[in-house]
Amino acid sequence: MKKNKPEAKNKETRQKGQRGPSVFSILGPYKKMIALLISFALATNALNLFIPRIISRSIDSYISGTLVVSQMILQFSIAMICIFVFLYLQSIVQTYASERVAKDTRTKLSAKISRLRYSDIETIGSSKLLTTLTSDIDSIKMFVSMAIASIVSSLVVIIGVAVLLLTINWRLALVVLAVIPVIGFTFAIIFSKVKGLFGKTREVVDKLNKVINESILGAAIIRVVNAQQEQSRKFLEVNTEARSVGLSILALFAALIPIITFVSGLATLGIVVLGGKFVIGGSMTLGSFTAFYSYVGMLVFPIIMIGFMSNFIAQASASYARVQGVIDTTEIPPTGINKAVIAGDVEVRHLTQTYGEKTALKDVSFKVKAGTKTAIIGPTAAGKSQLLYILTGLVIPTEGEVFYDGIKITEYDIEHFHAQVALVFQDSSMFNMSIRENIAFNTSVTEESLKKAIETAELGDFINTLPQGLDTIVSERGTSLSGGQKQRIMLARALAINPKVLLLDDFTARVDTKTEKSILQNISQNYPELTLISVTQKLAAIENYDSIVVLMEGELLAQGTHAELMNTSPEYVQIYNSQQSTNAYEVRT
Amino acid sequence: MFKYITHNNQQMLMKYALNTNTIKGERKSGVISVIRSLWPLLLTEKKKLVYAFVAIICNSALTLAAPLLIGHIVDTYIVKRDFHGVLVFGGILLLVYIGGLITSYLQTNLMGTVGQGALYNVRHKLFTKIQSLPIAFFNQNKSGDLISRINNDTDKLNQVISQQLVQLVGAVVVMIGAAITLVSLNPKLGLVALIPAIAVFIFTRVLSPWVKKRNLNNLKSIGSLSAEVQESLSNFKVIVAFNRRDYFRTRFAEANQKTYSAATKAGVANNLFQPVYGLSSNIAQLSVLAFGISLITQGFLTIGLLVSFLAYVTNFYFPLQQLAATWASFQVAMAGWDRISEILSLETNLIHIEGGKKSKEDDSVLSFADVDFAYPDGPLVLHDISFSLDKGKTYALVGPTGGGKTTTASLMARLYDPTQGMVLLKGKDIREYGDEERTETIGFILQEPFLFSGTLKDNILYGNKKYQDYDFKQTEELVKESGLSDLLSRFEQGLETPVSVGGSSISLGQKQLIAFIRAVLRKPEILILDEATANVDTLTEESLQVVLDKLPKETTRVIIAHRLHTIAKADEIFFVNSGEVVSAGSMEHAVEMLMHGKRKS
Repeated sequence: MKKNKPEAKNKETRQKGQRGPSVFSILGPYKKMIALLISFALATNALNLFIPRIISRSIDSYISGTLVVSQMILQFSIAMICIFVFLYLQSIVQTYASERVAKDTRTKLSAKISRLRYSDIETIGSSKLLTTLTSDIDSIKMFVSMAIASIVSSLVVIIGVAVLLLTINWRLALVVLAVIPVIGFTFAIIFSKVKGLFGKTREVVDKLNKVINESILGAAIIRVVNAQQEQSRKFLEVNTEARSVGLSILALFAALIPIITFVSGLATLGIVVLGGKFVIGGSMTLGSFTAFYSYVGMLVFPIIMIGFMSNFIAQASASYARVQGVIDTTEIPPTGINKAVIAGDVEVRHLTQTYGEKTALKDVSFKVKAGTKTAIIGPTAAGKSQLLYILTGLVIPTEGEVFYDGIKITEYDIEHFHAQVALVFQDSSMFNMSIRENIAFNTSVTEESLKKAIETAELGDFINTLPQGLDTIVSERGTSLSGGQKQRIMLARALAINPKVLLLDDFTARVDTKTEKSILQNISQNYPELTLISVTQKLAAIENYDSIVVLMEGELLAQGTHAELMNTSPEYVQIYNSQQSTNAYEVRT
Repeated sequence: MFKYITHNNQQMLMKYALNTNTIKGERKSGVISVIRSLWPLLLTEKKKLVYAFVAIICNSALTLAAPLLIGHIVDTYIVKRDFHGVLVFGGILLLVYIGGLITSYLQTNLMGTVGQGALYNVRHKLFTKIQSLPIAFFNQNKSGDLISRINNDTDKLNQVISQQLVQLVGAVVVMIGAAITLVSLNPKLGLVALIPAIAVFIFTRVLSPWVKKRNLNNLKSIGSLSAEVQESLSNFKVIVAFNRRDYFRTRFAEANQKTYSAATKAGVANNLFQPVYGLSSNIAQLSVLAFGISLITQGFLTIGLLVSFLAYVTNFYFPLQQLAATWASFQVAMAGWDRISEILSLETNLIHIEGGKKSKEDDSVLSFADVDFAYPDGPLVLHDISFSLDKGKTYALVGPTGGGKTTTASLMARLYDPTQGMVLLKGKDIREYGDEERTETIGFILQEPFLFSGTLKDNILYGNKKYQDYDFKQTEELVKESGLSDLLSRFEQGLETPVSVGGSSISLGQKQLIAFIRAVLRKPEILILDEATANVDTLTEESLQVVLDKLPKETTRVIIAHRLHTIAKADEIFFVNSGEVVSAGSMEHAVEMLMHGKRKS
């Protein structure tokens, strides 16, 4: 509840601003650095304006015979060295400021992401978050490192040159300064056209990335069905699209620079003809003429710069909006404060879970007593995994409640809760760390409980065969391990926290029958108090369980012991019969 | 001969890890060698490239002609107070500017087109290369890092090619022209003007390798940052469920800090050029001014010439300063190109060999002859395996986890080649088959199903050349014919069910169903199921069994499973453990081995 307020406020301000937060607001905490950056840029450029002045004065005084060469060299050298020093300092401040902004924004983002709900990550999409953390930050960085200094420098130069020109000869100055609005207008027209194309570029890049990502993540199946060509065809299509968008942007930009150069050429022409007339008429010195000429050269580049930078700012603003979008995502509602030790009574009341129009669970209710073993069985896509995710608090159900020891899951302190309820996931999730760190993933795991967990998961033999034992590094996605080994490591990970309630999601699917038997035996032996809820396909192993829940298409069809269900649930009997043929072998041990 | 090849294989296997320093060696970091390696990619539009160069040279000549004209105007007409002459030459100047307008447009447009073509070629080449690499390449590199190489590094190249190539080439041409004009106008003064540039040139040459290295480190750190994010986000549920939200923060903070320090180092290096180039430009102006004035005093130079000389100095040093700004991004792009070249230089180790005649006279459809296999740097996973499979029979591979079942299956489908020995498909070395023929013959349902974004129909027809253009109706018909309608009916929206990569709306069991349908529709002669139905419930599995039973008589089935009833119908059972594959004889015996068989460690 508390957290809702600032968020509502946020929305308000955003609606007021309409166009979203300005990227300039990101500079707030770095005021000092930015001030330093701007002052260096100002100093450099002010000095830069001096140099043509020194040159023109020198020529004039030479003509009039009053030139002191040593003084000229001294002035020039001081200006030159100051420019060098300031420019260098500016570049260093620029680098550090932009990287600091990037780093801090990434930290902010990652901190935010780490506080999000699992389901939020799923909705936003991890590839999108990756782009935000990399490309979007990049364009914000470019904004800080280039745009600010460039715009300040450019403005200084433009204004400075304008003032200087006006003081030298205002009539000629007006002719020259007329180029500014012409160039500005050209930019405005071309950028309004380019803007739409930039949006398209982003779309195309997203498409390119998608094809690339799928080709990398799906590399195995692509090779098995020899679909390299099909992937290449998909890529070719998008690549061609990327080229044609690139070419249309190019066509616009190719016109931009020549027009600007031409317009500035016209200004030069104006100086030559009009200035020539003034010089001939005697109302202007040759030195002033030279100065005019070189100042025009200085004027063009900053104007171009401002044009490009305005485009940078637009891109950075879009990126900043995306970053802000992630940062503004609602966090996990504040967790409860109950730190009670869970005994293990679990109750599910009227659970309903929908995804859009799809119903994953429909009004499911059942109870599990502490210290008992419960199995959840049912066909593919019955909603079993969803149920476990809800039981762990990873997913908040659309309707209904989950109680542990009669207390709502939301009332528990969430960290405390996760320390007592552990889930072994169905798909393998391995971290690129040592086996030890993968198992003792929760930092509170002691050496003793780690050992017990390894023993229970029957991993000891396997780990002993590894030259580096527990310290062997698991490669990303665990490609160096077999499916069964990964699953057992995940079991050990869950057991290592000494949970009160253990949830297994189809744990035995990839473990051979013998290992499965001994693991289940080990669990009852080493963790006698444990409340076990296991999603499984194999009935033979659960016949002696205290309770079996039959789930089908999101609905709870029956609950009872094996013997009860054999009498009351035709679905259960059907599943049972489907496994009979080979049960003889499995029971023999 | 054979030994040689296998030896070679092993070396190649190790090569795929991109981030180890072993393969890099010291690449030549000079601009010229990079341009040389990029050259073929630029050459696809030779004509345009030639036109572009003509346009660039014309434009540069015109750019250089303008100050010369102005100098002339000042010297002959303004100083002599001839306004008519000013007007006439003003007209000529206007023509020069118009010519500049046209050539400038042409050079940007043509060069840009060439650049876009080159970028297109780089992406295409890189993608095609990656497609040609074997699965080992993907196992040895982090996906996040690969994605960063293809996206981020090509983008760095893109920025240079699409935005700065024109500037670069144009600037160089203008500089050369300006330099020639400077020296020919007045050799002494010209040399004075160019000395700072020579100093800067040496400075740049000396520093560039260092700058590039810092940029390379920076790109590398970005790659690992991206890999870090990728890993943490794809395992986010574990992070939440095990109270390790701090894990992502700390791991990320570490990578972030590394990126920060690498980036600032690269930034400081990149930003060194601009002040130095600026300084050199100013030194040149001062030298020309001071020296020029003394020349005028001695009567060797006119004021007008000094004015245009100063303009030429600007003309020479302004592009040089532009180059300085571009140089940094050029170094970044070269570092990116290095990382891309690393991938481009890899070759697949799954080579195609010419053979023709049967190496072995037997009827078996697939057999292993004295096969050894080890993953790179790993222990032997399979040791001296020999067995053969007959047409139309069903085989089961059983054994404890980590025993080598998946590896055996992967060798059958030639995802890897054995380190010793040979896999024979229909009596011929499997390496003699083309990819298309081999993959049409062998169907392999992987342990971890992967779905592509699109619809369910796209996924079940994925890579299936025969039915590629089928619409929904035709596909539905096809599914019905193949006896798969029952499986399809488990999806509410049928063939139109939307699929997204990594989307959790489809359960693991359902993914396995899709992978199963995909494989069966290909009608392979050998169908390998690697725990392909592990997460499918037993009732659905019965329907799968029905489908398997209905496959043509000649189809050979290889089934890896832990559920015994899945393998109950096998004609022969192999027990796979500790790198050995032995025939288990009867089902009873297999169970006996599974339950009581001692595990070698």
